[in-house]
Amino acid sequence: MKEVSPSGAIHGLGGAPAPVGAVSSAPLASAPLSSAPLSASPAPTAVPAGPFDKAATPVWLAHNTGAVADAIREAGSARVALRVRAGGGWLDAGRPVTNATHVLDVGALRGIVEYTPGDLTLTARAGTTLAEIDDATRPHGQWLPLDPHGAPADTLGATLATASCGPLGASLGLPRDLALGVEFVDGRGTVVRGGGRVVKNVAGFDLVRLTVGAWGTLGVITEATVRLRARPDHCATLAVEAPGDQHALARLLRALREGPLTPIATELLDATLSAALGATAGDADAVVIRLVGNATSVAAQRRHVMSLARTVELPDTVWDALRRVLPAGAASVRVSHRPERLAVLWHDLATRTRDIPGCLRHATVERGVARCAVPAGHAEALTEVLPALVSSWRVVGEVLAPSAWSVLQPAGSDRLSRGVRAAFDELHLLNPGLMDATT
Amino acid sequence: MAMTRDALVQALAAIVGVRQVLQRPSELLVYASDGLPGYRKQPSLAVFPRSRDEVVAVVRLLARERMAFVPRGAGTGLSGGALADGVVLLGLNRLTRVLSIDAENRLAVVEPGVVNVHLTRAVAPLGLHYAPDPSSQAACTIGGNVAENAGGPHCLKYGVTLNHVVALTVILPDGEIVTLGSSDGEVDGYDLLGAFVGSEGCFGVALDATVRLTRNPQAVRTLLADFTSLDAAACATSAIIAAGIVPAALEMMDQPTIRAVEASIYAAGYPVDAAAVLLIEIDGLQAGIDEDVVRLQAICLEGGAREVRVARDEQERTRLWQGRKKAFGAMGRVSSHLVVQDAVIPRTRLPDVLRSIAAIGEREGLTVCNVFHAGDGNLHPNIPYNANDPDESARVHRAMQAIMQTCVDAGGSVTGEHGIGLDKLDYMSLIFSPESLDAMCRLRAVFDPDQRANPGKVVPIHACREWSQTAVLR
Repeated sequence: MKEVSPSGAIHGLGGAPAPVGAVSSAPLASAPLSSAPLSASPAPTAVPAGPFDKAATPVWLAHNTGAVADAIREAGSARVALRVRAGGGWLDAGRPVTNATHVLDVGALRGIVEYTPGDLTLTARAGTTLAEIDDATRPHGQWLPLDPHGAPADTLGATLATASCGPLGASLGLPRDLALGVEFVDGRGTVVRGGGRVVKNVAGFDLVRLTVGAWGTLGVITEATVRLRARPDHCATLAVEAPGDQHALARLLRALREGPLTPIATELLDATLSAALGATAGDADAVVIRLVGNATSVAAQRRHVMSLARTVELPDTVWDALRRVLPAGAASVRVSHRPERLAVLWHDLATRTRDIPGCLRHATVERGVARCAVPAGHAEALTEVLPALVSSWRVVGEVLAPSAWSVLQPAGSDRLSRGVRAAFDELHLLNPGLMDATT
Repeated sequence: MAMTRDALVQALAAIVGVRQVLQRPSELLVYASDGLPGYRKQPSLAVFPRSRDEVVAVVRLLARERMAFVPRGAGTGLSGGALADGVVLLGLNRLTRVLSIDAENRLAVVEPGVVNVHLTRAVAPLGLHYAPDPSSQAACTIGGNVAENAGGPHCLKYGVTLNHVVALTVILPDGEIVTLGSSDGEVDGYDLLGAFVGSEGCFGVALDATVRLTRNPQAVRTLLADFTSLDAAACATSAIIAAGIVPAALEMMDQPTIRAVEASIYAAGYPVDAAAVLLIEIDGLQAGIDEDVVRLQAICLEGGAREVRVARDEQERTRLWQGRKKAFGAMGRVSSHLVVQDAVIPRTRLPDVLRSIAAIGEREGLTVCNVFHAGDGNLHPNIPYNANDPDESARVHRAMQAIMQTCVDAGGSVTGEHGIGLDKLDYMSLIFSPESLDAMCRLRAVFDPDQRANPGKVVPIHACREWSQTAVLR
């Protein structure tokens, strides 16, 4: 466990700029403009950028905030666009980052800067993994209840930048609710801090909410402070068999939402996932529900769930398994509407995607958000059903074949969003193509 | 050529009716201050639209004439944020309709002038309530709550206004109407809703708000623990949180506050010889709640509490809460004026910061009354004083600055729920670098390039280095 006092901050605003050598590549000023061929750019390392990117891209490693700022300023002078990444697990996601000739890798910005358990807050550098945060907080009976789908090696910075969350988000907070403060470097290379290190804060305009979910297009997150929660005393995870009939399903979901229960997660799983996770033996969907409280409370809630339908008790590890169940390179979308309409949505999504081999579906009941993933080889089949889904539901793309994005309403195409982008990244240096209606 | 004041009055009257435009100094006096009586600014005139269409027409008229304006709800704010200094005051408190209630999805759509507690009353028959509960909830409006990102005692468990707003229809200062967020599923893109909530009236005017409703808990227990030292009460606060219990609310009141309350019509039966009391509320399912009560009692007693009382019924619970929520009012008996701060500190720093605040009060010969959200570390040091006494005013000013510096040095923020407004403008540079303040100015310029909405608030104007260059809107 690493504890650093406030005075021992690893780096801070106004600190000396990093030496040029901290950027481990040739000076960006000599790099080509974004339209020039990649081969003209000297690069020490090259990695394949993602399942849908064919070209290798030179990587610029930044070891501290000052180096990130230097890199962005130099990129601005040279008009070189940057694709930002830390662990490489999220933004290599097939989203159409366009014209980025360089990767700005902030994975080396790593480590917990401050953690005082009694404050239930933690400050860490952006490249710190969720697993590292879990290791640090677990001995104190605390956790950062962000459980995005992916690997524990995913980073805090990317989780916030993509506003990724899992089943816990509905009750314990979405990334926007748990992020208390951020340090980021905007498209001008300016180091900006928004929010703070306390749990309640309305000082100034909200740069934290603005940065969370911006996919790194307004600034590169270099450090963040998050709110932690106490781990529950007692937990129980129950799986309830979900009826195939849409109306019966709606009744069950309603009973779970309105009953004397205080679950921290309620997730609807399709039959394939249910079977894979041991939630059902046969060919039925299931609702997996995670009950918390003191012993008496959990016992009472368990009795109530068991009174509703046939129930199986599962180990709590099923939630970690759910996070990792998707195959590497899978294409995925989220489909949502009001929670009360989830049964209809679920039925529609199942009908439309039933024939896609390897398709997996699950939904967060309290939020009314379903997620559908297909193996990489079947991404085109998912593309084909998108128009129908878009006509009835809200659809947010996660990983899609390049041709699929044109079906979705581009995020960031409205006037205010364009204004925000221009105010923070006027040259569109940062992840161009994301949140960007012009390309 | 700018419109004359008389012409503007006529044009506004043509939209809202002549009785909804106030222009005589005697009429405007009421609007010269908010909940913080230390500031007085007279608006040039005040206009009170009664419908959404009228708001739209007024904002567009002001846009056409390039006139600044200050949106205002009930004027209960505690930062001077809703004061209009020689500009138009736009009152939204007459748009009081609850437009729709969706019990199944637990959502309500309200006009900006709906009083906070009226929404809770409207949805009470459905077993629901609106969770953010600022102490002024009997008067303050949801629109004002959105502008300030208001909190309240129960935000410890349920979150602040931001966590309860899912969508807004907003008229921007230039007259364009936009929808931020969504109540029909997830939206992709920048969290402009999150940026708008808490923007203190500088980003535009909410025409309606879709807010989340919260299920009423099956069971509630309210405890009053009394301590013979402030330190012990502060340490007990940390012990409760460390035990993994998330109270719905965890409030602290010190002796000067207790005595002010007990001497007033809001007397709640607090022990006047206690150095501090904790008002603790837990809620949730009936099953198991009394076990948590026993745990809380044990933690408080171990931490040095003399007694831990559990409210026996709803009547006693209401009385305990009334003392807390009306504490500011009770201080009105002590002095003619009152200043209050709103700094937030890391919870573990409560004992030492409270000691420092006491020392500052002693040094300046002032009584500091602490009544605050201990569970969040959100302090509200109040100093009753007489603003007509220049010497006392100067001491109050020095004390407030010293207290704020102490909180910032402890790693805190200058405001947890009251907002910056006018009152805390000078403190912004204590916690934000010039670059960060400039970034805030850039964000504001996206919503309001002319800076006509609530001018001069939130970010000190000198911090905005590139005001005219940053507004890139097409």
